Amino acid sequence: MISTAHTRKLLRRQKLGDGLFQVVAVVGVVIALATLGALIADALVDGVPRIDWKFLTSFPSRKPAEAGIFSALVGSVYLITLTAVVAVPIGIAAAVYLEEYTNQSSRLSRIIEVNVANLAGVPSIIYGLLGLELFVRAMRLERSLLAGALTLALLVLPIVIIASREAIRAVPSTIREAAYALGATQWQTTKDHVLPLAFPGILTGIILAVSRAIGETAPLITIGALTYVAFVPDGVLSPFTALPIQIFNWVSRPQHGFHINAAAGIVVLLLVTLLLNALAIFLRNRYQKQYQ
Amino acid sequence: MKQQAKSKFDLVLSVHDLNAWYGEAQVLSNISFDVERNRVTALIGPSGCGKSTLIRCFNRMNDFIPSFRLTGKILLEEEDLYSTAIDPVEVRLRLGMVFQKQNPFPKSIYDNIAYGPRIAGIRNRDQLDAIVEDSLQKAALWDEVKDKLRDNAYALSGGQQQRLCIARTLAIEPEVLLLDEPCSALDPIATAKIEELILELKDSYTVLIVTHNMQQAARVSHYTAFLYLGELIEFGLTDKIFTNPGDHRTEAYVTGKFG
Repeated sequence: MISTAHTRKLLRRQKLGDGLFQVVAVVGVVIALATLGALIADALVDGVPRIDWKFLTSFPSRKPAEAGIFSALVGSVYLITLTAVVAVPIGIAAAVYLEEYTNQSSRLSRIIEVNVANLAGVPSIIYGLLGLELFVRAMRLERSLLAGALTLALLVLPIVIIASREAIRAVPSTIREAAYALGATQWQTTKDHVLPLAFPGILTGIILAVSRAIGETAPLITIGALTYVAFVPDGVLSPFTALPIQIFNWVSRPQHGFHINAAAGIVVLLLVTLLLNALAIFLRNRYQKQYQ
Repeated sequence: MKQQAKSKFDLVLSVHDLNAWYGEAQVLSNISFDVERNRVTALIGPSGCGKSTLIRCFNRMNDFIPSFRLTGKILLEEEDLYSTAIDPVEVRLRLGMVFQKQNPFPKSIYDNIAYGPRIAGIRNRDQLDAIVEDSLQKAALWDEVKDKLRDNAYALSGGQQQRLCIARTLAIEPEVLLLDEPCSALDPIATAKIEELILELKDSYTVLIVTHNMQQAARVSHYTAFLYLGELIEFGLTDKIFTNPGDHRTEAYVTGKFG
């Protein structure tokens, strides 16, 4: 029998440990949020006064005060849409194949799993080099929107695959059994039950993928996206620029006016990202279904 | 363990020398018995005796387990369910299964029932309506849900959900009903309702039920198979198994000495 006094002493010590850990956790959160806050505040202070309708609808210019972000904004929207159109179906198909159609414990599927996870960690500039060789040169797509989108699609594919696999794995096997027992084929089970139930999780993966792709600069510069574009892309084979490239270009100019433009561009980029995320979260909540 | 000879007409299912393995572990050994038409046959035995594995052999649900292997024959109306000529999907349409844990789809009550007929190609609205009503009637659920067919099935109680699962299985008009511990997650009142339902269904269906509840087996079944450690120890009329078992292990189990 342990004495009450001893138990109390023990409890006091444990409570102290609890308190200490809480302090460490709070400090961590504060550091992370403060850094982010400072960055955003800095961009907002410099950039917001610069943003007006004219800034959004003007093409770049040699004069900072007349330069706008129109071609970069449109380029980014086209680029991201095209990236999603390529990466999402392939990513979901790969996830379905890996989760539903292969033997989970087989050597091959384990090798694929490890490799997909590794691909997610490959630096983006490597994807840029791949895109340059494969899409720009070998496939002769030149420095086009399509070449950029295909490169970014490769970059975000692992994110889509990993998130989709997790979402598919989270669908209870009892639902699959129910469908099979009613005479559904594997494809019917997947399309009628597994994918609809996994959809909210897959959407989360798409949000992450799109947010990553929209901010990527290195691979686009590597494949030779233009920095000065005074037109809107007129097709998938058209040359293009994108927001991060435009920002990068402005930041590297000596004139202070361009730095202000860069800050404004950052604010626009943040807004576009937030808007896309909000849309995806809205869709996810709308389709979220309860099972068990 | 061969039973008294019955005319072939009365037999729906016939199991011959069934052996099954998960990887290297043998889970069923030399199982042979016959299932009579329009009768309820119960599979009883302690946990891990292979009764769930056995019932899942009938509609080829074990096909999804990569390490699963099986030898022997299961004949449905003289046709081998494991012959290469037969599609597992057809097997599952002819032998409908209800699972241990109620597993409705997160869809409306109507869509739960209509799913099977729809994938079987029935698109006609009136026809689907009729199937839904008929199936719910047979599962004794119609009166409780007829005004809320569009509600999500998860809004129903556990017992209602399980009857919905039975109705959903009836909607594909199987020849045999396989019930894998259908009451294990239900309270006594819901259990009583399901048992009542099983007794009504036996007039039009051949029913196989796995249960760990011996009183349930005694109440609902005509024949009982007692499995122990993957072997069929005894098979016969339920009355005989419970009152005058031929094997001491059966007697020990049905009198509650182990299990």
